[in-house]
Amino acid sequence: SRKRGDDLGLDEEIEVTKKPRAPRVKLDEHRLLSDAGIPKLRKKAKAHLKFKGKGHEYSDAANLLAFYQLWLDDLFPKAKFLDALSMVEKLGHKKQIQTMRMEWINEGRPRSSVHEDT
Amino acid sequence: EFANGVKDVVDPEVRAYVSSLVTALGGSGADENGQYVLGDDALACLRDLKRWLKLYDEKANRLDVARCLAESNLVGGDLLQILAAWPENATDDKMKAKIALACLELLVPLTWPIEKNLAQMTVNHHRHIPYLEIAQLGYKRSIINFDGARILNTAVRCALPSMAQSPVDRSTRDEGIIKIVLYFFRNMALIAPPPNVKYDGDEADISRSATIDAFDYQDIFHLLLMMCSTMGEDFNTQDVVVMDILFHLVKGVDIEKLFMTETQLGNSQTDELVELRKKEAALLRGYQKSAPSRHNRFGAMAWISRENSKKTAISGQSAMTDATKGLAKMDSTKKFKPPRRAQKGYTGPMDFDAPVTLSPTATKHLRSFVEDFIDSGFNPLFSHIRKAIDREAERVLEIHSRQFFYLVGWFLEAERVRRKTKAVTRSKSPAASDIESFSLVAGVLNQEMFVTLNKAMDTAYENKVWNDLSASMRCFTQILLTVQEMSECPLEDDQDIAENILSRIFYEETTHDRVANITRTYKDQGFGYLDACTELCHNYLRILEQYSKQNVDLQVRSKRRVRRNKKAARAAGNDEPEDDVIDESENEDEAKAEQASRERKFDFKRFAARFLVQGCVDTFIAFTHFYNDLKPSQLKRAHRYFYRVAFKQEMSVMLFRVDIIALFYKMIKGPEGLDSSLPSFKEWNDLVKQLIKKCTRKMEERPELVVEMLFSKISSTAHFLEYGYDKQTVTSK
Repeated sequence: SRKRGDDLGLDEEIEVTKKPRAPRVKLDEHRLLSDAGIPKLRKKAKAHLKFKGKGHEYSDAANLLAFYQLWLDDLFPKAKFLDALSMVEKLGHKKQIQTMRMEWINEGRPRSSVHEDT
Repeated sequence: EFANGVKDVVDPEVRAYVSSLVTALGGSGADENGQYVLGDDALACLRDLKRWLKLYDEKANRLDVARCLAESNLVGGDLLQILAAWPENATDDKMKAKIALACLELLVPLTWPIEKNLAQMTVNHHRHIPYLEIAQLGYKRSIINFDGARILNTAVRCALPSMAQSPVDRSTRDEGIIKIVLYFFRNMALIAPPPNVKYDGDEADISRSATIDAFDYQDIFHLLLMMCSTMGEDFNTQDVVVMDILFHLVKGVDIEKLFMTETQLGNSQTDELVELRKKEAALLRGYQKSAPSRHNRFGAMAWISRENSKKTAISGQSAMTDATKGLAKMDSTKKFKPPRRAQKGYTGPMDFDAPVTLSPTATKHLRSFVEDFIDSGFNPLFSHIRKAIDREAERVLEIHSRQFFYLVGWFLEAERVRRKTKAVTRSKSPAASDIESFSLVAGVLNQEMFVTLNKAMDTAYENKVWNDLSASMRCFTQILLTVQEMSECPLEDDQDIAENILSRIFYEETTHDRVANITRTYKDQGFGYLDACTELCHNYLRILEQYSKQNVDLQVRSKRRVRRNKKAARAAGNDEPEDDVIDESENEDEAKAEQASRERKFDFKRFAARFLVQGCVDTFIAFTHFYNDLKPSQLKRAHRYFYRVAFKQEMSVMLFRVDIIALFYKMIKGPEGLDSSLPSFKEWNDLVKQLIKKCTRKMEERPELVVEMLFSKISSTAHFLEYGYDKQTVTSK
């Protein structure tokens, strides 16, 4: 009977290999600063974000929200809009992002005032 | 173990002893027409039972005896019958009085609130507490609804001889008797169905309304009034227990409703129904707008085409008609949920945020009690307790200061509402001479009270005891409102006093700091806290603004450190090491001197700027998220704040964040938006419209805002975005 067991491979030790779980996609500062992140948002905004202004406040707002929603859906598809927004907001407290934010703001500053400061 | 294999939860020997005692107590016999007959040694039995409770349950920290007594129906079957057998015309019967007292001595521990302190609970506690909680509800029901006699009134009769004596003559035993009776009422007022437990019986029998009706019918309110108005003279140490009773009677009661007349109440209830139906209709309309017009297997499919010829498919016809709906549909199919912390709301007997509805009779009874209390008991009781809290008397527990502040706030509001209703009726009858002064509530408007209140707020904030803080914030708000009303009162004396109090409140910059800090640091403390802190912030800002306009040269006392001086002192200090000690103490003196108050001119605009930080905005946003459940006054509060941020202080940039815009958009345009028939809807519509207009204009003006729309902004960034240049800050050299 032992022989038959051998044939069937019953006595052989089964190797249990734990397949590592696929790493969970995270919305972190690297993703946010990657090409698909804020750089893309800024590029797109220049090209697409147009407002009609007075009298069209709500359609403008809907537009604006749709703009952010689609960008976030591309960046981090699995989270809902409001969830993703709060995640991004939290990331805004990280050092790396804060310095980048300062840089982007400074780009918009008029040259002369920067000189005055320094 | 029983015959059927079920194991008894209580030691059988204990059960045997206890139930034999209960049996020996007495019973109703057929030959006495079913009347209850006392056993021969009833008094001894009662005392034995008390001993069992004390020496077994309490000493060994078990609840076995209490469980046995609950199962044997001791309260309904024996104790109440015995108490009922002490008729009012036999009050002088010494023996019966003794037995009645012994009954009370059992009733009080049996109805005592069970504390669930997880660290100290044993297996026994987990086994018995759910059963006992339900049993206590039964006790309460049979006590306050007992047909044969007025049980609560009988309890008062037990204590009357002791109460009649002057406090100096009372023995410890007398004091004990008074206390037992008061605790009995406290327990009656406190017992309510625990959260998450379904009570089988009729809840109306044990509701707040039933309690109030019973207290009125059995003359307990008279007793409470008498004790409150003579607090400090005939009574001393009973103050906190009396306050405990008051707290459990009025917590969560809506004061506006309390002071409505019956027809008004009827009208308001009809209005409420109409309002609710309207709300429901609006809700249904909202759904119907996006509901499919064909059957659910119609199978429409649409796609949103995106950049790089990428497409997102969405199903359902509603998505085809409207782009926003399509995006909403796309969002709603996502499953992922980021981890979230649970809200820290508190439920339990000490909760005062849960609203309570009262029956018409209970409303009437409670109103007359409240009015009598304000007229006679308010000042003596609350001054007395305030003194006890100040000197940290031994009987004052932590819970009492919370109750104290909650009650002071509650009764101050009640007094204001009462004045308002009185003013309405007075304007009808031309006898306008009887304008009353605010002296009825003056006991809580003195300087000592402010010291206590400030201290309480500081410690609660520091120790993160949010319920305490919430109670003291409510109290502070009500004081502010009362004082403000006082300053508009036609009596000149009252005006002067109010002026004085206001100047004292607004003179201290520490108070300004405290209010700003509390508003800034809200973080999931529950809705009651959120309501309290936004209310305080709103009223504080409003009244201070008004006050500073009237008194242009208002000075404030601030505690600003001047680092410069300190450094200079250190530089000038001696370098020799042996002088270090002296140097240090000198420095300390210096520091103290720097700490010392200096006065400066108050600038409201600068003060209000403290409420423009992101933390405060977030707090009000969190509050606004409840827009569909907020009362008109609460909606107004949020509206005024945002209006102040965006237009009065001109820092609308603080509101330019995508989630805030999304919330505002949803409030106006739905789905599940603000009901457009509400009077405040127009105000909000205007505000949101103006904000969006500003926002889009700003984004065109400053493209970098596209990124900043995602994040919280510190004030320097916000200032730059708003004005286009950096804030001028004065730097000392």
